Amino acid sequence: MGWSLATLFVSLRLLCFTAAVFEDQVGKFDWRQQFVGEVRFAVFDTNSQASKKLLVATEKNIFASINSRTGDLLWRHVDKTGPEGHIDMLLLHGQDALVVVGNGRILRSWETTIGGLNWETVLDTGSFQSAAFIGVQDLVKYVAVLKKSALSLHYLSNGHQKWVENLPESNTVQYQIVYSGGSGQVLLLGVVPNSHIVIVEYNIEDGEIMRQKSVAAPWITSLQSSCVVVGSGVLLCADLTTQSMYTFSLQSVEQTNMNQILLQTLGLEVASGFQPVLISTQPHPARPPLSEFVLQLGPDHHILLQLNDELISPLRDFNPSFLVAFATTGEKTVTAVMSPKNTTVSVDPSTCSYFLSSLQFSLSSNVGYNVVVLYLDAKACSINLYSADTGRRLLDTTIIYHKDPNGGRPAKLYVHAFLKKDDSVGYRVMVQNEDLVLSFLQQPGRVVWTREEALADVVTMEMVDLPLTGTQAELEGEFGKKADGLLAMVLKRLSSQLIVLQAWLGHLWKLFYDARKPRSQVKNEVTIETLSRDEFNLQKMMVMVTASGKLFGIDSKSGTILWSQYLENVQPNSVFKLMVQRTTAHFPHPPQCTLLIKDKNTGLASLNVFNPIFGKKSHIGVPALSRPVLQSLLLPLMDQDYAKVLLLIDDQYKVTAFPSTKNVLQQLQEMASSIFFYLVDSNQGRLSGFRLRKDLSTELIWEVVVPVETQKIVGVKGKRANEHVHSQGRVMGDRSVLYKYLNPNLLAVVTESTDTHQEHSFVGIFLIDGVTGRIVHEAVQRKARGPVHFVHSENWVVYVYWNTKSRRNEFSVLELFEGMELYNSTVFSSLDRPQPPQVLQQSYIFPSPISTLEATLTEKGITSRHLLVGLPSGAILSLPKMFLDPRRPEVASEQSREENLIPYSPEIPIRTEWFINYNQSVSRVKGIYTSPSGLESTCLVVAYGLDLYQTRVYPSKQFDVLKDDYDYVLISSVLLGLFFATMISKRLAEVKLLNRAWR
Amino acid sequence: MHLKNLVVAKTLIFTVLFGLCRRYSVGEHIGFIGETVEVSTGDEKFRIEGRAIVYGVRTEDWISNAVVLVDGEEHVGFIRLDGTFTVNDVPTGSYVVHIASPTYRFEPVRVDITTNGKMRARRVNYIRMSEVVQLPYPLQMRCTGLHSYFIKRETWGWSDFFMNPMVLMMLLPLVIILLLPKVINTDDPGVRREMEQSMNMLNPNPELPDVSELMTKFFATPKSRAKPGGGARGHGHREAQGGGSVPLGARRRRT
Repeated sequence: MGWSLATLFVSLRLLCFTAAVFEDQVGKFDWRQQFVGEVRFAVFDTNSQASKKLLVATEKNIFASINSRTGDLLWRHVDKTGPEGHIDMLLLHGQDALVVVGNGRILRSWETTIGGLNWETVLDTGSFQSAAFIGVQDLVKYVAVLKKSALSLHYLSNGHQKWVENLPESNTVQYQIVYSGGSGQVLLLGVVPNSHIVIVEYNIEDGEIMRQKSVAAPWITSLQSSCVVVGSGVLLCADLTTQSMYTFSLQSVEQTNMNQILLQTLGLEVASGFQPVLISTQPHPARPPLSEFVLQLGPDHHILLQLNDELISPLRDFNPSFLVAFATTGEKTVTAVMSPKNTTVSVDPSTCSYFLSSLQFSLSSNVGYNVVVLYLDAKACSINLYSADTGRRLLDTTIIYHKDPNGGRPAKLYVHAFLKKDDSVGYRVMVQNEDLVLSFLQQPGRVVWTREEALADVVTMEMVDLPLTGTQAELEGEFGKKADGLLAMVLKRLSSQLIVLQAWLGHLWKLFYDARKPRSQVKNEVTIETLSRDEFNLQKMMVMVTASGKLFGIDSKSGTILWSQYLENVQPNSVFKLMVQRTTAHFPHPPQCTLLIKDKNTGLASLNVFNPIFGKKSHIGVPALSRPVLQSLLLPLMDQDYAKVLLLIDDQYKVTAFPSTKNVLQQLQEMASSIFFYLVDSNQGRLSGFRLRKDLSTELIWEVVVPVETQKIVGVKGKRANEHVHSQGRVMGDRSVLYKYLNPNLLAVVTESTDTHQEHSFVGIFLIDGVTGRIVHEAVQRKARGPVHFVHSENWVVYVYWNTKSRRNEFSVLELFEGMELYNSTVFSSLDRPQPPQVLQQSYIFPSPISTLEATLTEKGITSRHLLVGLPSGAILSLPKMFLDPRRPEVASEQSREENLIPYSPEIPIRTEWFINYNQSVSRVKGIYTSPSGLESTCLVVAYGLDLYQTRVYPSKQFDVLKDDYDYVLISSVLLGLFFATMISKRLAEVKLLNRAWR
Repeated sequence: MHLKNLVVAKTLIFTVLFGLCRRYSVGEHIGFIGETVEVSTGDEKFRIEGRAIVYGVRTEDWISNAVVLVDGEEHVGFIRLDGTFTVNDVPTGSYVVHIASPTYRFEPVRVDITTNGKMRARRVNYIRMSEVVQLPYPLQMRCTGLHSYFIKRETWGWSDFFMNPMVLMMLLPLVIILLLPKVINTDDPGVRREMEQSMNMLNPNPELPDVSELMTKFFATPKSRAKPGGGARGHGHREAQGGGSVPLGARRRRT
């Protein structure tokens, strides 16, 4: 009875704070963008003319299909992260795509129209080398997978293994190429570096070795990229040291040596130090490759050659050319090159050296082939199509590619060729840049779509308020200036009011003008020029930093990318920290963001200062950081230009200030005694606190050592600087107040045991005062292990760990209270707090693993808090903090009911109504960013990871603004009705009084 | 020296546990969960197989958005066109298998894998871990409905309007005001005296200024003040009638 009452109570309470979305709000305040990451393989589906499928496999272990007309995702499959989900190979045959995953561990066949799995097979272990279709008499029935020491053949229809054979002498010979010319044999090419090439021929039916041959090739190191099979089974190799090409017929019985062809005889020369690259094409897996091929002689030099009876003849020289790719369609034989638009301009060799020519093939089952060759320049490039068998340029096939001045250089080229109605060849290209932009172009240079794939790996972000418009700034400026006489002020007042009126009239006119146009045309384009803060500051600029070193400015309302900036020379494993030094609040001064980029290996850092609204790089001088940076902290101090001071501490504990004007240094000297900072060395398990000295040197004041033999520090978190706590305490059921312990210097340190054994592993949490180094609280969770996610805010810490004994995730909450009296209610000082806080703790079961954890944040901290939990299923759960309250009683009493405490229940419910992103799942959520808006009730939320998702949450519902379903008609009709009722009743009363008076 | 001893002791424990585990896995299932996880010999990997079913929906229509998650994203499997799925390379242990689909809801299932690759599926119970409610293996994941993400908006209707306590509180006095004069003849002096008496009883503190009277004085037009006595008296009556409750309410709030 009591239990059912309690559950009833709980369910009633649940109804009260549903933070759910209404169905009509779908897409109103939220948006999602889905990404795939850096493309590794891309194949166009060329089976039918109308096909618009583009299949991509990416470095993020994603296999997806993109609509080539719009750039939208048709479907996407997200595999495991790490090497186990790594995609090694993508082959397309008809409607089925074959994908080799996890270093040759799994072979999958996907149905590409709907994105369903046909079959999957687990292969034997062994490092993956190559895979190829094996065709017999124009039919492709098998796929061969080459591992380091085994070759296996599988049926395409069901994935079953036809045969598997161990490779002869696999410990000395490196087998790298598997080849089939369609004549019923499987040829395997291996190499012994600097010695010879091994050729093994297998019987397609039973895997029996038919022939085995070795050819001396003392110059060879690797078959990959320097050797290809061209024509009807001729092995072709290019070598830098001997400056020659070698041919060898794989079919012939009598040939025992490779034919050497000196490049000089062809009038060619390989650029010094450049390993020549050979590119051939095999349009149909059941037929031999073409006898035409491309040789890359230098970073910007390609040549189209033809092999004819062991004779090589050049067809066309492409100099300069950056990227070359073959594509095939229809019956015709065509070739195609990317080159700088103005070929007379000499290309700066330093820029060219980056163009690693990578050739991508767009295969089709039809006979005929094209080769696309391209040219690049600093600003614009032209892409031209050439006939593959003659090298003749095809007319009217130029695509002009304009390079984004803030972007990277083109890195990869994918060509989609098709036959036009008049039987000529048309084509579209997809260019992938260094900054991971995919742009799809068609003739004569129209960009059909672009995808910013760098956003698949957002590292950190900030939200910056938008600037005020001119009129708003004018109004604001009125208050800031000094008073200059009564009359002048009145005039200014009037003039600014006039400006507001004018703006309002203009707005009305626009509304009227737009109303006449059809609704579809009214769509307001968001541009940087039209950006301005809205009434409630709900629209902000999202500044995102991606792992590839590209910065983005995104409008939070629509998700439009307003600016992007590619930072070159960013090391791939850099650590980024983004800080807002000056907000938009200081009008004549532009807002300023500083990005600290730190190389993980060397620790050397650099600063990048930019304007977050326009994305322009600032011209402010940046201090040179010659020593590795250990810590950075943004002080609340400001210089005369309202830029917050950034302190950088190097490995000799010297402090560099930025900006370091005289004013700043003076302020720092005055404040030095109250500036403290901490350093964490997780390798040595040392946490140390320092104080700034007047001469910008530092002194060590405390040190806490966590023994590294037993545990290691996995995370340290302070509180967010922009967090406000509205109420100092909590009112209890008996009307007394329990004061919160609100220490702004408190650090939450989480450790994990080095012993991972289930019985001995533990998770430790320390609450350390960052100024004094005093351990305020220490808790150990036995039989627990990470990954630990935690949030530290107000007077509480919430953390999640894995309970190894019960095998479930558990939430634990720590809340700190001062007690019934406040020691010093005006100011908090870490140095003067004699009483240790009272600590309350409770734990709960959470019925799902979690990916990330964050708490909502509002302007003044009045609104109740929610925890935002990213789940692996792609949902973001908004969990009321009320559920994580250590004061939840086991038995509900009168007082606890008065306090609105929910009786304790061990399991935290997950309700789908609390999913703030309803069915818009976001994959691999890495972080959730929360930012207050101008409305106290509203918190802006951005979830990033593989996808981006932006929405608003109202943890205590929208108490400060009329709901969006507010019934204006009802209220106005009631008001009008009341008005008329009073009018009528007044008249009636008057008549009645008059009548009575007459009586 | 000391360290070495420790290592030896540990290995001893391991072997003991291993022995225990083997016995358990052959025989009864109590102890099953605790031991199997840690004594995984490492290399051996198993596969979890099953089938996902959504009644009345073709597999092609939903599988492209669905994925099989084992212990979060620890292991991932994809659903085939016939609805079956395989999660490969799963080491010995106990896992929660879950089908993540943005539209359809599936109940998660716990799968235990012993060191020799024996599989067992059971219902997930996070509170009582030892409870075993066996489920068929290979897994049969049946869709248990659609996810409900949205809550209904409160719609406005006349019945809601009239059943609202505020409206009821407004309507009831209105009815009394309209009906009372019809029932009781206010012109009768006896009735009037009675009513005045009852009013005084209701208002025990006559010194307290009457809010409604104050308001009438404040807002009354000079015209009505100039009205002849009979009208003014009738006016005052109505005020006193309604005003009786106002100071009471005000006082209650003050305490």
